[in-house]
Amino acid sequence: MADRPETISASGSSPPPIKERGAAPQWLMPVIAWQAVLGVAALLGAVLVAAGTLWDLSGLAKWIVAALLLVIAFAAALGVRDLLAGKHRGRAIGIILNYLVVVVSGFAALQNMGVFRGLDALGDNFFNVAWVLVIVAVGWVLATQAERFGGLESKVRLAGRVVAGVGVAWILLGVGLLPGLLEFVVRLVELDVLVPMLVAVAAGVAFWLLRKDEAGFYFKTSRDQAEALDGFLFASPNVIGFLAFFAGPLLFSLYVSFTSWDGLTELQWVGVDNYARIFGLQFTSIDTGQLAADVLKDGYTELMRVGDFIIGARDRLFWVGLRNIVVFGLFAVPLAVMPALALAALLNQKLPGVKFFRAVYFIPSVAGVVGIALIWKQLYNATVGFINYGIVRLWDLINLLPGADFEPPQPEWLSNSRVALFSVVIVFAWQTIGFNTVLYLAGMQGIDSSLYEAASIDGAGKWQTFRKITIPMLRPTTLFVVATTTILALQLFNEPYILFQPQQQPSGPNNATLTPVVQLYQEGFQRFNQGFASALAWVLFAIIFAITIFYFRRQSEDEVGA
Amino acid sequence: MKKKLVLLFAVLALVAAACGGDDDATDDSPATTAAPAATEAPATTDAAPAGDSDVTLRWRTRPDNDQEAGVYRSVSESLSGTFGATLEYEAGGTETEGYQQALLTQLSGGTAPDVFWIPGAEIANFASRGVILNARELADAAGHNDADFYPGPMTELTTDPATGAQDAANYLWGLPRDVSAFGLYLNLDLIAEAGAEDPRDLAAAGEWDWDAFRRVSEDLAALGGDVSPYGQSSWWGPIGYWMNAAGGGFYNDAKDQCTLDSTESIAGLQFVTDFYADGLALTFGEDPEPVFKAGNVGMFQNGRWATPGIREVTFNWDVVKLPDGPAGPSNWLFWGAYVINANTEHPEEAWALVQALTSAEVQGQVAELGANIPSRVSQAALDAFLTFTPPENNQAFLDGLSEGPTTEAPDWLGDWPSYSSGLTTEVGAVISGARSVDDFQANICAELGEFVNP
Repeated sequence: MADRPETISASGSSPPPIKERGAAPQWLMPVIAWQAVLGVAALLGAVLVAAGTLWDLSGLAKWIVAALLLVIAFAAALGVRDLLAGKHRGRAIGIILNYLVVVVSGFAALQNMGVFRGLDALGDNFFNVAWVLVIVAVGWVLATQAERFGGLESKVRLAGRVVAGVGVAWILLGVGLLPGLLEFVVRLVELDVLVPMLVAVAAGVAFWLLRKDEAGFYFKTSRDQAEALDGFLFASPNVIGFLAFFAGPLLFSLYVSFTSWDGLTELQWVGVDNYARIFGLQFTSIDTGQLAADVLKDGYTELMRVGDFIIGARDRLFWVGLRNIVVFGLFAVPLAVMPALALAALLNQKLPGVKFFRAVYFIPSVAGVVGIALIWKQLYNATVGFINYGIVRLWDLINLLPGADFEPPQPEWLSNSRVALFSVVIVFAWQTIGFNTVLYLAGMQGIDSSLYEAASIDGAGKWQTFRKITIPMLRPTTLFVVATTTILALQLFNEPYILFQPQQQPSGPNNATLTPVVQLYQEGFQRFNQGFASALAWVLFAIIFAITIFYFRRQSEDEVGA
Repeated sequence: MKKKLVLLFAVLALVAAACGGDDDATDDSPATTAAPAATEAPATTDAAPAGDSDVTLRWRTRPDNDQEAGVYRSVSESLSGTFGATLEYEAGGTETEGYQQALLTQLSGGTAPDVFWIPGAEIANFASRGVILNARELADAAGHNDADFYPGPMTELTTDPATGAQDAANYLWGLPRDVSAFGLYLNLDLIAEAGAEDPRDLAAAGEWDWDAFRRVSEDLAALGGDVSPYGQSSWWGPIGYWMNAAGGGFYNDAKDQCTLDSTESIAGLQFVTDFYADGLALTFGEDPEPVFKAGNVGMFQNGRWATPGIREVTFNWDVVKLPDGPAGPSNWLFWGAYVINANTEHPEEAWALVQALTSAEVQGQVAELGANIPSRVSQAALDAFLTFTPPENNQAFLDGLSEGPTTEAPDWLGDWPSYSSGLTTEVGAVISGARSVDDFQANICAELGEFVNP
């Protein structure tokens, strides 16, 4: 058996290997026929979608869906051929295809049944009977701890089960099981529910049959193949979720970025115009006293001027946002990383109360950013905020010194365009330090203690040890911390959004806190420019992706070097 | 295995229960219930027993506070079932919680409520994209009269989106939920301490103009310390007052030309810029409300919506109308409207709901909380509003609404969100000293003109 893989079922059990294929299972032909039906249906669907008869899709979306259905039709046909030939590939295709059909049809049936919208109401109803969970818990405790009651064990167990059962029934009735069941039956006979439901059941049966050990024997599925199938199935919820809720919208937004979609009406293809607007720059000269509008092309506004040289931009705000986020990152990343390293070094000491402080420093990272920003907004008020009040009191103390008579500074944290961005830096750093501290702490605790012992024997002091051992050994952690903090910084949105509204726009005084994501939000949701907002999102993605690649390369080089 | 079966049973039971939770799923057919014929208090007409309805309407508005959300919920419960529809109220977010973001997403996904509120300035964006229902035929059938409401909002609500011209015979995009105007909230204790003239007396004597406003401010400034004579927010409304009161404004009458650079607009901008430069106001961009509530601002410009919060202060306070500018009295008429989702399956019931929500009775209930002014032009409603004290001088808001206010208006042909955002930033730059008035006048319409008439 060494030269061929061991035959195994896809469900993971290990039947004795067989050398000869047995007779085809009785269910095989119906399953193959079902798969052929799926293939024909997918092909028909592709044609109807392409012709515009099925679903009201337009533009690229129509062709993507049609192509997807064609792929399914092709896979089904290939699967039918391989199933007839007794090949494992046919079984694998059948399992995957039917699994996907179960998921899609099942969700379609539930959607058409109104279950997802009904979940809201279910949540409300559940809240009304949530207290009954206490009764269920009491019953469960009685049933599981019955042996503690000695001779009464069986009676207590029974009583516990009855109490728990009554509690569960109470909850189910309380959340509307009976009217729900009635509604279920009524809706089941509707075609838009019945058809996907029957398809899901049929595909489910085919999936179950193909997964049986019997199928594994017949199709001579090897151990590796079975493990691969099991792996795919285990990973499938996450993969489907990723495709449906992340990759799908991501690709859709890429498509939208080439349109002038407003989110409400038909998509209009505009090619790369959104990107041209983002990157459109004009460099020219300007005479003294001449207006920018006189020298710039139509649609361009002044971005910056140096002497008699002027730069115009088609979308000035993008460049302002980009400049802001670069400046923000230059301050915010070091402020969120370096104190975290120092804090981690402190919290890595065996001192009384250190666990308490580890939790304290982590709190800002888990607290809601909206709540945090609202509190900081109060703190930042230039007239009645606590920060400026603290500064005044501090200056009062300083002025107690002989000859001292200083006027306390009263920064206008949120209204001065020169200070506003720095105010956001402080909030961001304060909120991020805790998480970075935990990362550094984990990194420090992973450093081999023998290195410190050796350094101690060599007579190294604490600072030398920190500088020569801790910091170099934390290099991978530092790279990770810097990378994640940079990415977070580039995506800055919540803090300015809460800090400056509603008195100002989230872009702050004189656009001082305008960031790419703030601009994206304003374009998409306030100016109805979903197409342009999507293009901004993809440009930002490209920037973040490039930075991430840069950090990963550095990390790889470090690992190779080590 | 047994436990798994029990678990499976419980999950299936919950799924089945969820089927019962979606009351709207079986409502495919348009409603057959007749819309109420009366314009006043439709809630009491054609009443059907509560809970007997097959039609469920979802509706949403943005309350100013939790108390107001409670009133809306109570209104929803009391109206539910009275015109053949069960109502589900959804309290929208606040200005900082993305009311419009959620609405836009739901409209795009086809899950928006049947009836919802939007700010007056957004009507054009929604109407021109066909996402709200033109209710003119429904309104005519129900005997609705546009003249029952303030004319400013009704002009905008009866505009043809294609031309930007009023066409009341063919268009009606909704009904105004409420209206509001600016007032100056006064810290009477500070004014007395400063020995300044009482703005209310000046207003009563017809002498409350910019000169008087500056005089009172200078007296307040003399108090020194942390006292700021005046405070205002930095969005387009407070900014616009100065331009409007000087005879200028954001647009020309046809709303197809930027007039931010007109002599009158610049005069208003120059006045307020000098006022700030002379240290007579709280720093532009600072949130003035907490500072006023802390007793450090003498005069605070804000709308009626600020009243519930101001009622919490411990010092003596009242309200006076905004000072008359060189061009006479000026104010804004702010408003928002209930509109109908164009994709609602129950347009008749939705219209009946809009009528019910804008009835005198419901508007009175909401206005009593202090944040709103009824949008119906009815002496009874106005008389009732005057009793919703404090402030004692509620008349100041009504004066603001009656003395030729500029109506918050959507830009039917231009891009209001971009225009308002741009002008807010640039005026802020001028007031805070980052840009000169001359530079503003020379370039602003070149910079923002494309948004007025694209």
